[in-house]
Amino acid sequence: MPCFTFYIFNRKGACQYYHEWQRLKPVRSGAGSQEEDFKLMFGLFWSMRALSSALDPKNPAKQQMGAPQRIGDGCSFNSFRTSAYKLHFLESPSGLKFVLTTDPSVGSLAEALQYIYASLFVELVAKNPLYTPGEPFLFEPFSAALNKYMRTLGLLS
Amino acid sequence: MSATPAAKRAVAESCIDYLTLELVNNYRRQLQGPPLQAALDAIGERVGRQLVERYAKERPPLLEQLDVMKFICKEFWAEVFRKSVDNLRTNHRGTFVLRDTQFRWLTRLSQNQMPPQVGQPLPAPIPKAELAADYLVLPCAIVRGALAGLGLEASVTADATSLPQVDFTVVVRQVAAR
Repeated sequence: MPCFTFYIFNRKGACQYYHEWQRLKPVRSGAGSQEEDFKLMFGLFWSMRALSSALDPKNPAKQQMGAPQRIGDGCSFNSFRTSAYKLHFLESPSGLKFVLTTDPSVGSLAEALQYIYASLFVELVAKNPLYTPGEPFLFEPFSAALNKYMRTLGLLS
Repeated sequence: MSATPAAKRAVAESCIDYLTLELVNNYRRQLQGPPLQAALDAIGERVGRQLVERYAKERPPLLEQLDVMKFICKEFWAEVFRKSVDNLRTNHRGTFVLRDTQFRWLTRLSQNQMPPQVGQPLPAPIPKAELAADYLVLPCAIVRGALAGLGLEASVTADATSLPQVDFTVVVRQVAAR
C-alpha cells in the first residue's frame, strides 16, 4: 500500500483530522507522541512556505504569512520527497492544510488533494450541520469516501 | 420602470445549504428545547408563505386539496429542496404522507465520533433521527406556511428514522375560506 498517513490542519495549527493507513515506524520512536508529531508537521509547513517564497526567483509579490490565498497563487510548496516517503501538501484559501504521505514512487497528487478538499471535505464535512469549524472531527461518511477515493487512485489495495 | 421581465437570477446552491444550517446552529447556541422550536417554526412559516406566493402566482387557483398537495410535491419541493417528492400517499380524509427518499438538506448529516479529549471513550452513538430533529423544524414549518398560503390549515411533522429518507406527514385541519 503506497499511502501512509493523511492529516488535516486548521489555520491555527490544530490537527482536525488524522488517518493512518500504514505507519511502520511507531510515533513513539519518531516524534515522541502524537501531539509532538502534529506540532512538528505544522512547524514544517510554516517554515517550508516561508522558505520557498523567500527563495523564489520569479514572483515579486510579498508573501503574507497566514493570509488567504487561492490554490495555485503565490508561492507554496507542493511536495517533497525523501528516500522513504513523499509528502504532498495543499493549503486551501481558508487556511486548511491537507497533508498526505505516500511511497516515494507516487507521482504528483496535487489534483487528488484538490479533489479531496473540494469534493470530499466541503461536501461531507463543511456542509454537515454537526461540524464545528476548527474542531477535530471524525465523520464516518468522510472517512469512507476518503478510503474509497484512495482505492480508485490505486494507492490503497 | 423597465417593461422587460426580470431575468431569472441564480445563486450558488451552497449558499442556501450553508445559510439553512447556520440558521439552526445560530439559534441553537442561544435557545434550547421549545423556544428553539418556536423560533425556527416562526421563521419557517413566514418563509413558506412568501415562497408559495412567489411560486404559485402564475398558476390558476388550486381548489382541490389533492391538487394543492400535488403542487407542493412537485413544483414547490423542486424549488425549495431541489428535487420533487418521490412518493405521496393519502387516506383521502385529510392525511397525506410525503416521502422524500433523498432529503437534500440532511444527506450530509453524520455524528462526530471524535472523543472530546484524546484518550477518553468515544461518544455514545446517537440515532440519526435525534440528531436531525432540530434541523427538521424548519422544513416542516416551511411546508406548513406554504399550505397556509394556499388556503389549507394543516399540521406537518417529519419522520427521519431512515435517513436520508424523510417522511412528512400532513394532517389537514380545515379548509380556510379563500
